[in-house]
Amino acid sequence: MCDIIWCKHKVDGKDCDTINYLDPYYFWNWEGTISCAECGTVYYIYMINGFMYKGPEERPGETADIMPLYADKPYDGYSNYRPATEGRTRPYECMPRSFLTGTAEMLKFSIRNRPMRGWRPQPPSAGLAGQFPFNWDIQKLSPEVWEEYQQKIAAGEVTDW
Amino acid sequence: MAKDPRVTRIEDLPGPKSQGEMEEMKMPYEEYCKGIFDVGNEHSKPTALKGLKWLSCTMYIFTPHSVANLAELGAQVVKIEMPRMGDAMRHTSPFNECYLYPLHDTRPTTGTGLGFTNANPNKYFMTMDYHIPEMREHFYSLVRKFDGLTELYRPGTMDKWQLGYRQLTEINPRFIYVWGGGFGYGPKIFGGSYDILGQAHAGLASITGMHEYMGGHCTKQTNWVIDWQSGNLITCSILAAIHHRRKTGLGTMIEFSQVQVPTRMSGYSFPMYGKFGIVRQRWGNWDTQLSVHGIILCGKSDFPDADNPQDKFCARYVMVSAFQDADFKELCAITGTNNLYEKYKSHNERCEGEAQVEIYTALEKWAEDKTRSEVAKTLQDAGLLAEPVRNDREAYESPHFRERGTVRWLDDPLFGDMLVHCGYSCGHMEKTPRRINWHWRPVGADNKKVYQDWLGIPQSQIQEWYDKVWI
Amino acid sequence: MAEKKDIEINSRADTIGLMDMDVRPYPVTPVVSYDEVKPVYEKRKALEFCEWAEANLKFEKRYSKDESLSHIRVLDIGLWRLGHKFATSLFGEAGAECVSIEPPGGDPLRKLTPFGREEYYLENRDTGEKCGMEFVAETVNTHCVTLDVETEEGQEIFKRMAGISDIVIDGMPPGYMDNLGIGYRQLKEANPKMIYIWVGVNGQWGPWKDKQSKFGQWELAPFGSCADSWVHNTGLAQDLLPRGKGGDPTRSGVWLEDYTAGGQAFLNAAAALYWRDELGNSGQMIEVTGSETLLDMLDFDITWYGFNASIKGRSGGWDPNLNQYAWNPCKDGYMMIGGQTDKLWYNIGFCLERDYHQFGRLIHEDPFLKEVGARNALHALIKVYSVTTRWLRDQCRVEAEAKLLEYQLAAGPVMFIDEVAEFPHFKYRPWMYVQETDYGPLLIASSPSSYQVQAPFRCKWMGRDLGFDNYEIYMKWCGIDQNRVNEFKQKGVM
Repeated sequence: MCDIIWCKHKVDGKDCDTINYLDPYYFWNWEGTISCAECGTVYYIYMINGFMYKGPEERPGETADIMPLYADKPYDGYSNYRPATEGRTRPYECMPRSFLTGTAEMLKFSIRNRPMRGWRPQPPSAGLAGQFPFNWDIQKLSPEVWEEYQQKIAAGEVTDW
Repeated sequence: MAKDPRVTRIEDLPGPKSQGEMEEMKMPYEEYCKGIFDVGNEHSKPTALKGLKWLSCTMYIFTPHSVANLAELGAQVVKIEMPRMGDAMRHTSPFNECYLYPLHDTRPTTGTGLGFTNANPNKYFMTMDYHIPEMREHFYSLVRKFDGLTELYRPGTMDKWQLGYRQLTEINPRFIYVWGGGFGYGPKIFGGSYDILGQAHAGLASITGMHEYMGGHCTKQTNWVIDWQSGNLITCSILAAIHHRRKTGLGTMIEFSQVQVPTRMSGYSFPMYGKFGIVRQRWGNWDTQLSVHGIILCGKSDFPDADNPQDKFCARYVMVSAFQDADFKELCAITGTNNLYEKYKSHNERCEGEAQVEIYTALEKWAEDKTRSEVAKTLQDAGLLAEPVRNDREAYESPHFRERGTVRWLDDPLFGDMLVHCGYSCGHMEKTPRRINWHWRPVGADNKKVYQDWLGIPQSQIQEWYDKVWI
Repeated sequence: MAEKKDIEINSRADTIGLMDMDVRPYPVTPVVSYDEVKPVYEKRKALEFCEWAEANLKFEKRYSKDESLSHIRVLDIGLWRLGHKFATSLFGEAGAECVSIEPPGGDPLRKLTPFGREEYYLENRDTGEKCGMEFVAETVNTHCVTLDVETEEGQEIFKRMAGISDIVIDGMPPGYMDNLGIGYRQLKEANPKMIYIWVGVNGQWGPWKDKQSKFGQWELAPFGSCADSWVHNTGLAQDLLPRGKGGDPTRSGVWLEDYTAGGQAFLNAAAALYWRDELGNSGQMIEVTGSETLLDMLDFDITWYGFNASIKGRSGGWDPNLNQYAWNPCKDGYMMIGGQTDKLWYNIGFCLERDYHQFGRLIHEDPFLKEVGARNALHALIKVYSVTTRWLRDQCRVEAEAKLLEYQLAAGPVMFIDEVAEFPHFKYRPWMYVQETDYGPLLIASSPSSYQVQAPFRCKWMGRDLGFDNYEIYMKWCGIDQNRVNEFKQKGVM
């Protein structure tokens, strides 16, 4: 039960059965208290080189030093608490922007509002054996995007940088 | 007609010959440099490697990049990919979010991921399945027209397909054959190779990262530095081989191991281990040979209200350099740590481990109520060298990189508005500037050009091969 | 045979000399023999090819082969940094005649030594002159002369030397040589074939060009990598390790941008040589900076910003694009495991499950982790690496590697310098070997370009006393005889 804390605290007569993941770098050598993402039980642990030298010991009444980054429940199909779930998991802030979709982002314009071929599907335009020209005939292939671009220009939204 | 010694011609006299030349000699050096590099007008000048032709039988970053250098310098480079799916690197993208379309007309919902960026600019793209024996003679036709190739297959594979150096040198004795991979001949010859493995295996990881006693760990350079730098060093070998060929008319084979590169770049690490038995360790953001010369954490971010978390939370670091005595004295004066100057008057003294711990702790204490800009400005105003640690957005907005054309927008012929970083600026060249014409092209985008124009294959035959997925 | 000695150690100084290469031989474990390697080749049915490869590419044959750039002459001037020196070393390894100019007091880099410890200086066995290891390691096949270019006579001599050089490498601050009348625009008329390369940190021009402190201190690595976002996105996230204790932007352990600048300097100069010699044109000026050459290696980062305003962040030992593709702590260090496709992904499970049953259950039962693309999600990385490390904490690197390789996984330990030096494959090549130098036997890292059929790169000598080649070079290049050299030395010009 190390590098994970499998919470067996009784909640309404049943085991909590939530796995709190202790991410490897933070906790490799660490001592302190950590809360269960599901039931909030505070556990004391003292980890040395990844081994649970002491704990997990329940510390009722104490405030936890830290929350786990991620937790899930193996008995209900792995419902989970992702990072930054209020009151349950600590936030993960070192992201490339404030939100991530995890799927291909359909974009038609770059950050300076000029057309960019970032959406699918693209209308076919190849010749023999996949030969492509050296230009993107956007007016012919995607006239609606060209239109939108003209509107952006008119609205002064297209910049140099 | 013999030159008349009584006549002095102006062309023979030293010094500037025209008003323009005279101005050139007198203008401030910085202006002169800016003028000769003429950012934005690169395409009006010739390319250095005009006439050189190279085949890129490569995948991922390491070997493609070695050839991309040649393409940026003006060589004609052809990338050979497997039909339909193409280079595996096309299918990687940060957080799965960024793709440009199409990959290929037969895959309308598949794009090329941004992971493919930077390693294949300016290349022509063809497809060929090497396993098909009938394609072999056409590969040979290409070899007769080209100067060399780079490949990355497991050793012996190309040889087995009759496409190895031993076969190609018979067909074209001037051919320069380059193999790039992890290990080369020896016990681990067939080991798969990755940038992360290079960093781990060759010692670079062991000397990068925060100190163990502070709770730090061996740290990976986030970017694929070993792939890129190894690619550069292969290009160096290729160019040297080309010069050798000019002398002798002979091609060659080059075997290049990517995992070796970090050891060559490790400075004093191996000599120190050999002579003194000391195993170099990581030393975080400080320097093992210079003090003060390191990155310190400031109290507050410069952009606490920014939307992007990188700006909001992490714009808090300053690189401070004051290792010469006078600089160190000033640093101590500014930060109210004159006691440290008294204690560590000589450079060698303040370079010692314990001294650095004491000094940087004091500096960070001084900085703990200030923003990054405040720290940098205070030190700069005192005449010291201090610069913020900048992020991608700041590199994009940098007046310096913009002026130098290092960051610039490219109207890619097929994919539209995309940012280029570097390429041009890997080496600013006065007369034969590097350039980027396009980021990449779809899989097989130049099949017709290669098969019809260069190899004389009739269109119906090309179509037949295409339908059979031979190309 | 090892002999017993009684020694008393009261300070670090007393340990010096106990580990010298003639006392403690290298390597500690014997090098694998060809007969032991042969079965590896045979197993993959590539014996014939590998035999040919060894015969034609063998490292040991490098000196018997030709040198590619032996007709090229390189003149190098610079201080403090490794960028211009690495470029010069590359030319030297390729056979060029390289001369490096230092002021009569020497390059300050000669005096740098780890933690300021003078006992780590290397000492020339003939002359007793001391030199820092970093300088020695990056002065390869280079002649060293002294010259004070701030004197008029020095400038005259420099002009004559540049006049007969193919390549001039300038590692001085922006405009320094130009102000002295010996910069590119002054030299190019007398030698239009000259290729002049400036190698620095941020540039000779532009708002952030290389500067000096008000006391004249130079800007050195890693200023370039701080300017171009390299440092910002390297290191562990503050969520994976506390900020201030490792969850910070981290610089490289080596002066990385100097090496990238030096490499591109050689690369672009060699291309310029091609344009000059093969295509019949003139020389030119080239400018190479650490910040820009490193910016080129930022993968797709700036392009990504232009795509959707993302700013790359730190991900420590994990790669954000692939799962599994990371290193994590283990019993005796760090272990890298790679396996991204479904087949390899499940192989990791089969392997780890043998020792830690929960791994298979927690990872392979989880419906979210079944799809390859989904595994790159942040929380997937956190879960997978936490559980993997639970297994790793019980494994030494050697054990872990053996177990993982059984399942054809890419796996490798993070190795420390001594382990790198003893790794069987690296010894076999060899990637580090003992070269007998003027400083005694030194363990040095060999050039990756040493494995070629025709003209491999090689190290002929490493390190050089200050001004060692004054007499030879000044006579050969400038016709200045030894008496005049001595006079110049008296005057401080050399």
